[in-house]
Amino acid sequence: MVLNQRNNITAFKFILPALLAMLFVHVIPILTGMFISFLDLDIKTLTQWLSAPFVGLRNYFDIFNSGMDVGRVFMRSLWNVVLYGLLTIPIGYVIALAVALLLNNKFPGRTIVRGLVLLPYITPDSVMYNVWRFIFQARIGLVNKLLLQIGLIQEPLIWLVGDRAMASVVMASVWKGWPFTCLILLSGLQGISAELYEAAEIDGASWWKKFRSITWPMLWPVTRTSLIMSCIWNFHAFNQFYVMLGGDTSSSVAVPSLVILREAFTNLHYGLGSAMAVIMLLVVLLFTGFSILSRKEELH
Amino acid sequence: MKRIAIVLILGLIAVGAFAGGSQEAADSVDELGGTITFWVMPNAPDETHMPWIEEKAAEFYELTGVTVEYEIVGWGDAWTKISTAVATGEGVDVFQVGTTWNPQFAATSGLEMIDINEFGGKDAFMKANYDSTTLDGTCYGVPWFAETRVLFYNKDMFEKAGATPPKTHEELYAAADKIIAEYGEGSAIALAGTNAWDLIHNWAIILWGNGGQMLDDSNEKALLNSPEGVKAMQWYVDLVRNGYAAKACAEYNQPQADAAFINGNVAMCYMGPWNISNIEQENPGLNYGIVEPPKGPKGEASFSGGSNLVVLKESRNKAAAKEWIKFLLEEDQIVEYTSSLSKMLPSKKDAYNNAAFDTDRWQLFKNVLSYSTAYAPLGVWGDIENAIVTEFKGVLIDYINGDYTDSTVKTHLDAAASKVDSALGKE
Repeated sequence: MVLNQRNNITAFKFILPALLAMLFVHVIPILTGMFISFLDLDIKTLTQWLSAPFVGLRNYFDIFNSGMDVGRVFMRSLWNVVLYGLLTIPIGYVIALAVALLLNNKFPGRTIVRGLVLLPYITPDSVMYNVWRFIFQARIGLVNKLLLQIGLIQEPLIWLVGDRAMASVVMASVWKGWPFTCLILLSGLQGISAELYEAAEIDGASWWKKFRSITWPMLWPVTRTSLIMSCIWNFHAFNQFYVMLGGDTSSSVAVPSLVILREAFTNLHYGLGSAMAVIMLLVVLLFTGFSILSRKEELH
Repeated sequence: MKRIAIVLILGLIAVGAFAGGSQEAADSVDELGGTITFWVMPNAPDETHMPWIEEKAAEFYELTGVTVEYEIVGWGDAWTKISTAVATGEGVDVFQVGTTWNPQFAATSGLEMIDINEFGGKDAFMKANYDSTTLDGTCYGVPWFAETRVLFYNKDMFEKAGATPPKTHEELYAAADKIIAEYGEGSAIALAGTNAWDLIHNWAIILWGNGGQMLDDSNEKALLNSPEGVKAMQWYVDLVRNGYAAKACAEYNQPQADAAFINGNVAMCYMGPWNISNIEQENPGLNYGIVEPPKGPKGEASFSGGSNLVVLKESRNKAAAKEWIKFLLEEDQIVEYTSSLSKMLPSKKDAYNNAAFDTDRWQLFKNVLSYSTAYAPLGVWGDIENAIVTEFKGVLIDYINGDYTDSTVKTHLDAAASKVDSALGKE
């Protein structure tokens, strides 16, 4: 008993620095943000923000009020990010899985290829999305040059404004995101016992049959975790939209992170911005909950 | 164990709260001395800007014993940085703000009130620039320099196309027709598009030339969706629809539009005095001229902007901060800073008597500035500008998506007007 307690205290001392860091970097700012979301904190009350008028849930009603501009913008941004996720996550996953299956085979130079595959993932976002912006630019962009050359289009298309903007961001994001999923899936694949495949082969199972009955089910826990993680990151999507499209919040490519940035820090409507951020926190918590539940299920 | 953790956490929160509360702004010192922090935007290329500020800071130290620590803050970061300083009362003593920012930050009550008589009185400054330092008639800043927009044109392209520099909106279209006949579609004028935060200025010039107004005289109601407003925005969009400007302009920001002109690809662009130093640096061989912005049906118009210097209310060295502003506004400093460094225009009237401004080009800018219009000095100006820019972008996006009709502009301007009205309600 005494030993146990002493162990606990020692353990506590070890995690104390991390706890303190968490407290100051995460817990206090989050709680402050929640507090601000109940205040009418804007340009006029900025300097005495602690005494800004308390408005209860009004900010929350406003951001979901389709009769108000801020409500329309926020709700549309939620839909935009869902759409973005519905496109980016499955496409990225399929590419990642296909490449992971390929890389799981033995062939000469496999290690080098595995390293190369990670390149898009390890290059900084700001650099790569700027490059993608150039690629999609109407006048000098490679995409238009290529399409013009092969005769698919007669005049340059505008990619970064209007209906095609989402498509260009999705393409860039898939390119940037799939290698990481691929890496996770590859490690999952390597954890599947070779004996299972050998047994299936003896029974004369086809490639498809093996994939369906062994690979897919055995890979499911990894798939599930990676999809949940992708969903969480998806809701945070910011860099690609900000760098490629310039942070526009007026159109079909405005995502919540951009709207929050704009509302809180450009328009100085901190109350509304905080309410939006709290909603995003709840969404992410929901996915985290899924993640924890599914892991618990797995243990049982 | 849990209890210890909770007690610890609560204790820390309490310590944090009290530590924050115990700091009070010290009163400003009467005697000059100490250090002040000065935030300034990149008004000139760093290679010339930074040595100049360092030299002037050293001179100021000799005179007053005050050390000036400066930081060059990009326009992109400045808004957030300043609002943080205003909210916390920390980080800076004296800083530059754009003219439309001045009343907005004044509305936060984070800026020090200014007695303009200490700085030569309000009549010493261009009226539009002085007005921009005020909120409800009280002054919260000192005008530093002014800027306005004129039409830059490429002399070689104009000559080859047989066009003459336009004096009116119609003449601009006529010149553009000749230029695209010679150089092809999109070569007549470079425009800013959806990526330009300052998109509103381009339309404002056309709006005022058409006799329109953004707000009524008492700043209580939006007038921007008037027939003049609609006509002005249609005129702007038609520059693209008629092929005078490239469709790609829809994705440009202002520097991209400027670059298209400076590189010699496009024959015209609405630009400001600071672009002259861009041309000198990037394409000194460009054979260009400047003319006043072409007149609209109701006459001449341009946009008046610029920057002011303000003092943070919580500054611990306000006296020194004000002294630094006075020093920067002395004739030697202001003439050198505007005429040779930033290529902006002094907002102090008597500076124009200096021989440095005795050229046709400076006189043209000065003349344009004399009839330029500034935006209303309002605390909610940010919301107003945001509403207009958002809807302006909406018009361009509709055009790119092929949804542009005769009623597109009116629909978006009506939406902007209703947002502006609700913002004005909060003023």
